[in-house]
Formats: sequence, C-alpha cells, structure tokens
Amino acid sequence: MNDLWFFLKLFKPQRANLAVGMLLSLLTALSSVALLTLSGWFISASALAGLNAEAWAFNFVLPAAQIRALAIARTASRYAERLVTHEATFHVLANIRGWFFQQLIPLVPGRLSSLRSGDVLSRMTADIDALDALYLRLLSPALVAALGVGAVTAFLYLYAPIISLNTGVMLALASVAVPWLFTVLGRGGAEETVVLAANFRIRHLDMLQGLADLLAYRAYPRFNALLDQCSRLMVDTQRRNNRLTAISSALTLLLSQSALLAALLMAALLYRDRLLSGAESVMLVFCVLAAFEFAMPLPQALQMLAKTGKAAQRIRQVAQMSPTITSPRQPSALPYGYGLQLDDVSFRYPNQPDWALRQVSLSIPQNSKLAIIGASGSGKTTLLHMLMRYYDADQGRILLAGHNLKQFDSDDLLTRYGVLSQRSELFAATIKDNLLIAKPKASAAELAAALSSAGLRTLINRLPDGIDTWVGESGLKVSGGEARRIALARLYLKNAPILILDEPTEGLDKETEREVLNTLAAFAQDKTLIIVTHREAGLDLADKVYRMERGVLIGTSL
Amino acid sequence: MRLTDNQVYFDHRQAREKICAYWLKQQAKTVAKPVRLTAIAGIANGCAVMVQAAIIAQILHAIIIDNRAWQDLGTPLLGLAAVFIARSLCVYCQQIWGFEAGAQVRLSLRRQLSDQFAALGPVVVKQQHSGELTAITLEQVDALENYFARYLPQQLIVGVLPLIMIVVVMPVNWVVGVIFLLTGPLIPVFMALAGMGAASASRNQFLAMTRMGGYFLDRLQGLATLKLFGQAWQELERINAIADNFRAKTMAVLRIAFISSAVLEFFSAVAVALVAVYVGLGLLGQISLGPAKSISFKEALFVLLLAPEFFMPLRQLAVYYHDKAAALGSADAILALLEQQVTEQSPVGQQADPTAQLIELKQVSKSYGARQVLYDIDLSISAREKIALTGPSGAGKTTLVNLLLGFEPASAGIILLNGRAIDRDSAATAIAWAGQDPYLFHGSIKDNIALAHAEADEQAIIDAAIAAGVTEFSGQLPDGLLTLIGERGYGLSGGQIQRIALARAFLKNADIILLDEPTANLDPANKTRLLDVIGRLFSDKTLIIASHDPEVIQRMDRRLVLHQGRLLP
Repeated sequence: MNDLWFFLKLFKPQRANLAVGMLLSLLTALSSVALLTLSGWFISASALAGLNAEAWAFNFVLPAAQIRALAIARTASRYAERLVTHEATFHVLANIRGWFFQQLIPLVPGRLSSLRSGDVLSRMTADIDALDALYLRLLSPALVAALGVGAVTAFLYLYAPIISLNTGVMLALASVAVPWLFTVLGRGGAEETVVLAANFRIRHLDMLQGLADLLAYRAYPRFNALLDQCSRLMVDTQRRNNRLTAISSALTLLLSQSALLAALLMAALLYRDRLLSGAESVMLVFCVLAAFEFAMPLPQALQMLAKTGKAAQRIRQVAQMSPTITSPRQPSALPYGYGLQLDDVSFRYPNQPDWALRQVSLSIPQNSKLAIIGASGSGKTTLLHMLMRYYDADQGRILLAGHNLKQFDSDDLLTRYGVLSQRSELFAATIKDNLLIAKPKASAAELAAALSSAGLRTLINRLPDGIDTWVGESGLKVSGGEARRIALARLYLKNAPILILDEPTEGLDKETEREVLNTLAAFAQDKTLIIVTHREAGLDLADKVYRMERGVLIGTSL
Repeated sequence: MRLTDNQVYFDHRQAREKICAYWLKQQAKTVAKPVRLTAIAGIANGCAVMVQAAIIAQILHAIIIDNRAWQDLGTPLLGLAAVFIARSLCVYCQQIWGFEAGAQVRLSLRRQLSDQFAALGPVVVKQQHSGELTAITLEQVDALENYFARYLPQQLIVGVLPLIMIVVVMPVNWVVGVIFLLTGPLIPVFMALAGMGAASASRNQFLAMTRMGGYFLDRLQGLATLKLFGQAWQELERINAIADNFRAKTMAVLRIAFISSAVLEFFSAVAVALVAVYVGLGLLGQISLGPAKSISFKEALFVLLLAPEFFMPLRQLAVYYHDKAAALGSADAILALLEQQVTEQSPVGQQADPTAQLIELKQVSKSYGARQVLYDIDLSISAREKIALTGPSGAGKTTLVNLLLGFEPASAGIILLNGRAIDRDSAATAIAWAGQDPYLFHGSIKDNIALAHAEADEQAIIDAAIAAGVTEFSGQLPDGLLTLIGERGYGLSGGQIQRIALARAFLKNADIILLDEPTANLDPANKTRLLDVIGRLFSDKTLIIASHDPEVIQRMDRRLVLHQGRLLP
C-alpha cells in the first residue's frame, strides 16, 4: 500500500490532466446512465400521455433532443477521456523510467552487477509498464465509481430517499464489500501460489542446469514427474482461488440484482401511494439498472490493486538498495601517476560465507604488464573489480599512486581505466554513437584512427551506411569478433592509462584472437596492463604471471 | 532509418504474428470443450438477461398501465428472482469452466516444454539462459490463461448472442430489430476501418517505436559500461528525451486506435437513443413507421431494456482485447522454444556387430555451422582400458565426451557402443559420467548420490559414499549424508562436490566411467587424494578421463591426444 502511495506521488505533475481525464470518464458514465434513465422516463411519459389522449399536449421535442445530445456527449467524452488519460499516464511512465534509471546509476555495477542475467531487468521494465494500471484501472475507476454512485444516489434521493439508500448500500456491498471479503479469503491461497511458483522455479532451474547429469543418470523422467506434480499443485491452488473469485462474481451480480428487485418493489409501493408518478417510477428503475455500469469495473480494480501493489513493491525494492560504496564528500583530485598497490586485501561478498579474496598483496607499478590465471570462481574478476572500486575491501587497502582509492570520487576514478571484457556491450545505436560513448567530443579524424587501429576499416567500408550503420537490437548483426573490435576502438578513444582485460579473447577464433592481442600489445606499450585469462595466447602480453586459487594470489613463473 | 527497412521489419513482424495466432488456434482445439462450455454459460446468461427484461417490462406495465396491486405480481416477481439466481449461476460456471480451459492448456504446454528441453539436450539448453527459459515455462505460459479463459469464449458469445437477440426482437418490433441489425454488424466494420487506420499509422513508425521501446532496456543492460565511460548521467537526459518522444509517437497511434472504442460507444448510444425516440414517438402516435402505432408499453420497455444489452458482448470483448495481445506476445516466446530443431540421433535398430570393440569411432567429425571442431576421429576402446584423453583447451575434448554420451549427434561418421550405433539411452545405460562441473540438486547429499537409483538401498548408498570419501567430510556436517545442499552445492568445496559426483558414478555401477576434468578446481593435496579414490573405485571398469593435468595423464595406461580437433597418432 505504501508502495502504491509512493508512486501515486510521482503522478502529481500530471494532476490537472488526470483530473480532467477522470471528469471526462465520469461524464461518459453519467451520460450513459442519464441516457437510459431519460429514455425510460420518455417512453413511459409518452405511453401515459398517449393513453390519456394528452398526446397533443406532450412536448416530445425537448426530451428527444436531449436523448440525442446525451448519445453524442457519451461518444465524444469517451474519446476525449481516452486521449487525456493516456497522454497523462504515458507522461508519468516516462518520468518513472527516468527516475528509475537515476536510482540505478549508483547501484551499478557493485550492487546490481548481474543486471543482464537476472530476470530483475525484464521484471523492472514490465513492472513499470504495469504501473499504468495504477491510474487507468485502479484510481480512476474507483473514484469515478464513488462519484458516479454518489451522483446517482443523490438523483434517486430527490424522488425516493428509500430507493436511494437501498441502491447505495447494495451497490457498495456488491462491488466493494464482497470482492474485498473474497480477496481476504483468497489471500492464503494467493500466497500459497507464490510459494509454489517459487518452488517450481527452483526445481525448474535445477532441471535445466543439471540437465546433463539428469540425462546421463536417466533421472530425467523421475525429475520431470516431480516437476509436473509441482505444476499441477500450482494449478490446483489457483483453481481453489478461482472458485472463490467465481463465487464472489456470482454474489456481486446477485446482490446488485437484488438492488434492482428491491427498487422495483419500492417503486411499485411508492406509485401505489401516489408518492411517485408512473413515469417517475419507471425512470427510477431504469436509473438503478443503469447505475450498475459504475460498479462493473470495481471488482477488477480490486484485483488490480494486489497486482499493481506487487509491481510497485518490486520496483521500489531495487530503487531502495544502498550502493556498495560511497564517494567521499570532498573527493581528492586524481594524482598524475597511476601505479597501483594492494596491501593485505581481503574481501567477502555480502551474505557469503567464503572469502572471495584472502590477504592479497600486489604491487602494479606504472606501465607494468601482468597476467592473472586461475580456475573460474577463484577470485580473478573480483580482484579486477576491487581495483576499479566496485566494492570496498573488508580488510586491507588499495592505493592509486600512494593514495587510498576511497579518497577519490568513484566516477573520476573510472576515467583512469580502460576495460575490455569477454562481453562487449554494444548499444542499439549507430556504430558512431557507440564509439562516441568513449569520447563524446571525438573528431572525425580521431574516430577514423580508432577504427583503423581496431581493424574495423574493411567492415565499415563494406557497409552502405558506413559508420552510421545501426547496430545492436533490430540493427546490423555483428559477429563476436566485430563487437570485440568496436570495444577495442572505444578503448583507443578513451585512451586511459590502466588497461583491464578480462578474458579479452574468450569466444574468438584463433586468428581473430591473435589479431586482437597484437593490436593490444602495440596499444599497451605506454600503459599499465592487467589481463585475466585462461588461454595461453594472452600470456605473451605479460611480464609477470600470477595464479589465483580460492581467493589467494600466488606468484608463478610459467 | 529508411522506409523500406521499416516496411520489411513491419511485414516480418506481421507474418510472425500470424504464425503465433495460428499456433494459439491450434492450442485452442485441445480445449474446445471447456471453451465451448464457457461460451454456453455466457450465452445462457445473455438469454436470461432477455427473460429478465421481459419480466421487468411486464411488471412495470402491470403496475403503471393496468394499475395492478403489487401483491398480484407474485409469479413474475418470483420469476425475476429465479432469473437472478440463474444468472449468478451462469456467471459462476463461466468463470469455473473458463479456468479449466486455461489450466488444461497451461499444464499441457509445461509438459511439452519439458519434453522439448530433454529432446534438445544439455548442449543446446546450456547455450540459453536458464532463468529466461524458466520464466517462459512459468510466467509466459501463465500469461496465456486469460486468452483461453476469457477471450476465446467471448469471441464465440459475440458470434451468437446478438443474433439470438435480433431473432427475439424481430417479432416484437421489426423496426427495432432492423435498428439492431444495422448498428450491430456496423460496429466490427467501423472498428476494422479504424484498426486499419491505426495499422497504417503505426506502420509508418513501427521500427522507430520498437527501437525506442528497446532503448531503455538496452541502456539499462549497458549501464555498467556507460558508467565506465562516465556517460551514465548524460544518458539520463537522453533517456528522458527519448521516453518523451516515445510517448508522443505512441499517442499518435493511439489517437487513431481510440476511434474504435469511440465507434463502439457511439453505436451503442445511438441505438439506445434511436430505440427510445422511435418507441416514444410511436406511443405518442407521432410516427407511423412499421408497427409504431400498435406498440404497447410492455413491448416498448422490453426493447429499450434490450438495447444496451445488445452491445454488451462486444463491449466485453473489447475489454478482453488485451488478453489477446498478451497471449500473442507469450506465444511468440513459447513458440520460439518449441520450434527449435531437435537434431536427429544417428539411426538405431541396426544389427549389432559382434566383432566390434566396446567403443568404436569411425571417421567421426563434428562441426557447428562453419566451425569444425572434430576431424575424422578413428578410435577403438576395449574393456577395462584406462585412458587419458588430453590436449589443450579448445582441442575438442568436451565435444568428444558429449558425442560419447549421445548429448549431441556427430556431423559425420559413426560411433558404436557394444557394436550398436550409440544413442542417448544406450549411452546413459552403459556409461557413468561426471562432468567438469558436476551439478548438485536441491536435496540431501544422499539424494544427490542416489540420482541414478532413487530406490537404491541405504547400505549401497553409504558404501558408495564411503568408497568415494564423501563420509570424510559429511561426518562433520550437522546431518551427515542427510545434510541439505543448495544450488550448485553451495557451501561445499570443489573437491567435495567432485567426490559426491564420484560416489554417484560408483553407485551407478556402469561398465564405462567417463570423467571430464575431475581435478580442474582442486589444489595439489586434494588432487592426489581424489586420484587415489578414482584408481581404487574403478579398477575393474573402463575408465576414460578427459584432462590436461600431467598427474592424471601419468596414472593412466593409454594416452589419446587431441590437437585442433584431430587425434594425434
């Protein structure tokens, strides 16, 4: 609930539009109720007039015109309402996206290093989209229903207070109390479904990741039967919950229909007692009948409440994470030198029992070249991340030109590093824009130089749009080698003094690997180079080779 | 971006959408019965609405025109109450049956997906993100529910209920019938026209829209890189600008799309207004079109009450429309998985060759697209041999192991096991395998050892655990062999995981033992211990170890060296 409230506040800048949208929506619903009510009155009045031979005295022009006007008003206000509410909602969603991105910046890469791997990301985008329901399907229908039912009961009150009271109470019972009661009743089942789904997810991940073991040990059928059982259990729980929802819908209908039956009886009694005219009685019955239109979206809105609340909660969970590091209030200027020094550094990832780095001491003088080898999970990449201060050491310290890394602004610090990793991040943009990320003000000559050094000249020349070719999602498909070269060109443009290469040739064929490494060797001459690899080819670049084993750094002489 | 690109991309998407829609229809055939029942419940409800309108009209007529006391109206009032109850029941059944339609599809699709994963095999499945595959099996399959539970039945209802209403209204008042007949079918026509307008508007900017939709995702994924280049905050401005642009373009399309909902609203309002004015003027005797003069109050009320109901099924279908859109999106993801080609296993059922060795490879090659990994491997292995399969990483060791296990078929050549062409099943019977990175499942250590034989007797499991040295460390754990271990053997060291995998292989008691880099993650002391265990456990078996560790190679009798996909003599 708190989470929803939080996001509602983000809707504030659009409140004028949202209010207009709601009024239009109210107008649509009211004109539809009025249309039916007026029509009911009109034909009964006509019938009575015709019966009593007063037809000549009956002014039919005005009500007939009003009926037509209402029909047009209903159409126009529906269209306008759609436009205004969607316009406002999309404005808000655009703002929330920006806001969310802003919240993420300090969390990456330390806290959310695995944005791609987790389903966090897809959830976050889907969840933001789900927030449109907050206004369109939750707030607006609820308020419109409240105002509309208020207006209808007020209208009924003018003619027959008893019908007004009865209708108001019954509608509230039918469309708010009953769905709410059943939501509460179904809460246990809903929670159970979440638990069962989580259970299914774990088993399914187990099944996929251990597929080789399952097949080799012929345990797949048994495991699959277990999974199928989980799936059926999940559906059974949902079935029980669905039964509750079905009862709730049936009861809602029954209650609102009883309101109609009661209105009919009361109208008959009031007519008998001459408290209502015939036409008025019919009009009121029609009005009650039409008023259901307000209540119709409410049960669904209640269902949305839980769903949207969960979406909001998931977004906020991420947005409220604390960064792994804090930049100092008054950061020091970066020193000119760039020798690195690790003193007795130990590090453990949050909530992990094992140390990822154990008392690592290492001196990396300016322009030295070193390689680190070791099994996956031994802590190589963690060591690289510590140098770039993605995390702070639990023990020991890391120095840049003799100063503790913690003294510097973390964004400043990153300007010293050029990184090439096995996954080169290409953005959905032109090749040129992808390069400009490294140096936004790069001249055409600089870009051309970087492209040639990275060995991309031939590729660019082949493309009809050259450097303006769109790559990434829905653009040109580039090969792993080409992507790596674009990343290399970026490295050139950034021209940072410390090069960090994390498995830089992983996934490349031998020939491309050799070319990339040759280029790197030339480029790294006047720079510090730290390479992590398990391929022999990369080791030629280094003067010194270290091995990591379970967080411990061991000097070796290969 | 060029217009032609846009057109091509758009056409491609449309073709894909058609395939997905067709696939959804195929799935619907399997649940035709519950879908039809759901629709019948909805149609019954609609018919009850007509009865309800007739009774209400009759009651009001009796009270106002005939001046009857309400006590005389016991029967119609009771009838009305009965209709209300019947309608509630219909609503209940509609929801219950609708759920069954969705549930049956979901259960059967989950099974299909499981079978597909097994058929694709571990090599192909490994290349895809397991979290995403799980999300498809769980969330995307669930997202299909409302399409089958609500949209499809409603489509049937829309096809039937308005017709029934016209048939009922015609004898009462044919002019009103004609009004229904004219406005009703016009709605889909106008909606389609508006829809086409929306489609052509969106065609003009479809590529731009998808690119912008993907932009946010793209920049989120690359946020770490952006930060590295100091571009994160600059990107924020661009994200805001693009999100705003995206909104403007989306609205341009929606402005036209909303016409269809306005059309629906217009016609249902106009029909009510026309009916009201027509019968009203008829009652007053002001017009004489059709049966206007002879219209009774009862009939007038009845047709007026029916007018809004006539459009109700269509309006409901419009409400459910996004169920269809969501289902198409999910169908795309599910279908992409089910469509993946399962590479055929080599032919089976041929005559056994009694002269063959235990394992024979004849001219076996393997390539992935243009990249060839193994070249013309000829090899025979006899029983109880102890073999080291070695070579630099990337030489093809793991591929060869995968071929032996039947995880993937050879591109050329033939592999015989006991004289028969190998397939996954015969390999799984004859070979006990422990991979480079053995997977431990959620459960106890004991469950993990007994993977091959869930019902193996207690003592056999304990014997295997002792033999493989598992008990050396499990004794220190709180629950011994019953200690629960989490994902990927969380909390256990690499050597401990390897020993559990060895116990697993030992318990299986197969003829051939195939180990892939068993010592990769071990320190020297642990390595020696593990190799001792391996030597002892499998002394009477055929043992093949893929490794480039000198200590492993030195312990084996025969050495096979792979170099760039070729077996060195």
